[in-house]
Amino acid sequence: MSAPAPGRGSPPANLPRGRGPVRGGPARILCARYPHLALIAAWRHHPELRGEPVVIGGAPELRLPVVAASEAAAAAGVRPGQMLREAQQRCPVATFVPPDEAATGALREELLARLCALAPRVEVADPTSWCDITGRHAAHRDEGAWAVAIARAVSAALDGAAISVGIAGSRLVAGIAAVRTPPRRIRRIPPGGEADFLAPLPLGDLPVDAGMAARLAAMGLDCAGAVASLSAADLQRQFGPAGMELWHRVRGEDGVGEERIAGPDGAWPALPALPCSGPAPGRGGSRPAGGWAGSRRLGERIVLEGGVGDLETLRFAVHRAAGELGERLRERGCRAAAVTLAGELEEGEPVGLRITPLHPPGSGAELWPVALELLAGLRLPAPVVAIRLEVEGIERGSGRQVDLWRGDAAIEAIEGAAARLRARFGQAAVRTAELAEDPGDLPERRFRWVEPAAVSASGWRGVDTSARERGGVRRRGTEVRPESRAPAGAVSQPPVPALRR
Amino acid sequence: MSTPLSQALAELRRRHGDGVIRPGAALGGVEAWPTGLPSLDRRLTVGGLPLGRVSLLAAASPGMASGRLTLLQALAAAASRERTAVYLDLTGSLDPGYLADLGADLGSLLVVTPPSGRLGDGLAMARRLVAAGAAWLAVALPRDVPAAASRGVPERGWDHRLTALAEAVAARRAVCVITAGAPPAALRHAASLAIRCTATGWHVAHGDVLGLRVRLTVAKSRVGALGEQVELLLRYPRPFALAEVVTRPVVVELPGGDGAATTGALRELVG
Repeated sequence: MSAPAPGRGSPPANLPRGRGPVRGGPARILCARYPHLALIAAWRHHPELRGEPVVIGGAPELRLPVVAASEAAAAAGVRPGQMLREAQQRCPVATFVPPDEAATGALREELLARLCALAPRVEVADPTSWCDITGRHAAHRDEGAWAVAIARAVSAALDGAAISVGIAGSRLVAGIAAVRTPPRRIRRIPPGGEADFLAPLPLGDLPVDAGMAARLAAMGLDCAGAVASLSAADLQRQFGPAGMELWHRVRGEDGVGEERIAGPDGAWPALPALPCSGPAPGRGGSRPAGGWAGSRRLGERIVLEGGVGDLETLRFAVHRAAGELGERLRERGCRAAAVTLAGELEEGEPVGLRITPLHPPGSGAELWPVALELLAGLRLPAPVVAIRLEVEGIERGSGRQVDLWRGDAAIEAIEGAAARLRARFGQAAVRTAELAEDPGDLPERRFRWVEPAAVSASGWRGVDTSARERGGVRRRGTEVRPESRAPAGAVSQPPVPALRR
Repeated sequence: MSTPLSQALAELRRRHGDGVIRPGAALGGVEAWPTGLPSLDRRLTVGGLPLGRVSLLAAASPGMASGRLTLLQALAAAASRERTAVYLDLTGSLDPGYLADLGADLGSLLVVTPPSGRLGDGLAMARRLVAAGAAWLAVALPRDVPAAASRGVPERGWDHRLTALAEAVAARRAVCVITAGAPPAALRHAASLAIRCTATGWHVAHGDVLGLRVRLTVAKSRVGALGEQVELLLRYPRPFALAEVVTRPVVVELPGGDGAATTGALRELVG
C-alpha cells in the first residue's frame, strides 16, 4: 500500500460519520478522568490508605482479577485485570481491599447527580465520566469556565481526588486528551484540531486492533498522522470495515455505529452511545452506571458474535438486555414511558422501532414483553451484529412499594443500626432468614440464616459484609480485623440484598 | 375576669409556649396498628395494637400451653408483610420456616438474638433498632425470665433497659408486643395493654392436633376497657406446606363467650 497524496482523505459521501453537533455549533465532549470509584470508596472508608499502594479486588489468594490499583500500586506494575496473586507478586507491600459495590454505586450516583446539574447529557463510568458541553451554558461565560465548574464538581464529589480533564469534539479525542493531561489540569482541543492532536500519537494510544497496528507499523505507518494521510479506500481495501473505522478514528471521529443510530427513514435523532453490556460493575468493567441519565434515557447494548440472523439468538439477546435494563429500572424505582429496540446491521444503517407501552415498564419482567413485541415488528434486512434496547422518559414509578410510615430512609437507618449491632455483638446477633430452595426433611433445613446488606458503623454501606466475606481487609500480608468480630462459632453467610420496602 | 389560675396559665404559655398546657380533649386518641383480627381490633383494643405503647401477651397459667407465642409470631408475620419488623428471640426457639408458614416476609423480618442470651442486651439491641426506625417489634421472653437468671447469675438492670425500650417505642411510635409466660412486675408496669392468653382446648380432627383454642382476656389496658374476652382458634400451619399460608387462615375467630358480635360460622382472618 503506497502512501497516498495529501488531500485524498475525504470520506465517501455515503459513509456514516461520527455524531454531529447536537444543538448548533460543533459538538464538544468533556472527559474527566479520576481514580477508580472503588478506590475512592476504599479511601473514604480507610483514609489511612491514601498514598499507599492499594489493590482493589479482594484477598490475594482469591482467584479474582484486580479491579483497580492506586497510583503507587500501578507504579509497581499492578494493572486492572491482572490476577490478584500476580498483583501481590508485583507489589508485595500493597494493601488488598475487597471492592464495595454498594459504596461504589452510591459514589457513582452522587457523581451522576452532580454532573447532571451541570451538563445536559452525562455518562458516568470508571474511571472516566463524559459530559456533553456542546453550545453555551447560561451560567458560565465560556467553555473553559463551564469545564472548570464541572471539574470542581467532580473533584468535590470524589473527596478532592485529582482529576484530569480533556475537551474535544469527540469522545475518542476527549478521552485521549484526558489521559495525556496531568492531574488537576484541563486540556482543550480546539474544534477541528482533533486530527492535529492525534497526528503525533502512536497507534497504540488509539483503540486499534493490535494486529492491524503491527501490520501498519511494518509498513512504516506507526503514528496516527501517517495513517490519516491514507485514503479511506486504501484502508478499506487492506482491512475491510475495520479499516474504515480506523480511518475515522485517526481523524478523531468516534467509531462508526457507536455513536449514532437511525431508523429506516432516518427520522430519528442521533442518539448517544449506550452503555454496553460487559463485566459487572465494580469488577473491572467500564459500564456506565447511569447511562445518559441527563436525558432520562437508559440503554443496554448486546454485541453478538458476528452477524446473526437467527431469531432465537436475537430473542435471547433481547431477553438479556431487557433483564439487565429492567433491573436497573427496578433498582431506581423508575418506569419508562417509551422503549426502543434497534439492531445494528452487518451492513447498512441500524434499524429500530420505538413504542410507547400502555403500561410503563419498571422491571425486567415488564420490559421483556414490550421488547419482544418490538422484536417481532422489527424488519431486519441483514444480519445483526448488536442489539440495543433503550428506555426513555424515565420517571419515578408511582407503583413503587414504600414504607408508608417512615419512608425509605428508615430502611437504611435500620440497616445501619443492624450493622452496628452485628459489629458489636457478632454476626449472629441480627439476622434475617430465607427459605431454602431445596429444603431437606429436617425442619432446620427449610431455611437458612442470612445477613442483610450491611452498613458499617460509619454509615458506609457494604464494606463490612464484603470484608468479612472475603476474609477482611488485608494490609501488607496481614489481616486487619475489624474492631469486634463475630464470636467463635458465628456463621458467616453471604450478603443478601437490602431489606425490602 | 382574670383569676390567679388563668394568670398562671397565661404566664406559663408566654414563657414556655402554647403547647405546654393543653386540655385533655386536645390530646387526641390512641393510634393503633390494626392486626387484621376483627375481634382483637374491635373488642380487645381500640382499633388494634396501640402505637408507641408496649403490649404484653401473658400466659394465664405459666408452664401450660397458652398460644401466646404462636399469636405473637402470627402478628409479627402480618407486620413483616407491611414493613420492617424486628423479632427479639430470647427463647432461642424461633423457627423461620414456621414464620414463613404463617405468611411472614422473611426478608423484612430482622431476627435479633443476643449472643450472651441476656435479657438486658436483647432489650438494648431492640431499642437501637426501634430508635433507628423499626416500626414493629416482637419480643419473645423465656418462661422464667427474669426471676431468674441468666446462666445462673441473676441479671440486674434489665428493667432499666426495658424502660429505655419503652421510651424509644413511645418516641418512634412503634408497635411493641412482648410475650412472657410469667411477666415480672416491671414488665407489667411498662405495658399499656396486657392480654392474658388461656388455652381452652386443642383443635383436633381425625386424631390430629390442628390448632389451639385460646381465650384472650384484657388484663390491663390504658387504652381501652378491661375484662373484654374473645376466643380464637390458632390453627397451626402444616409443616412443609407453604402454599397453605396464602390460601388458608392461620388464626380463626371463634364465637365469643358472651354471645355478642358473634356469628355461627368461622371467619377467616389471616392469610
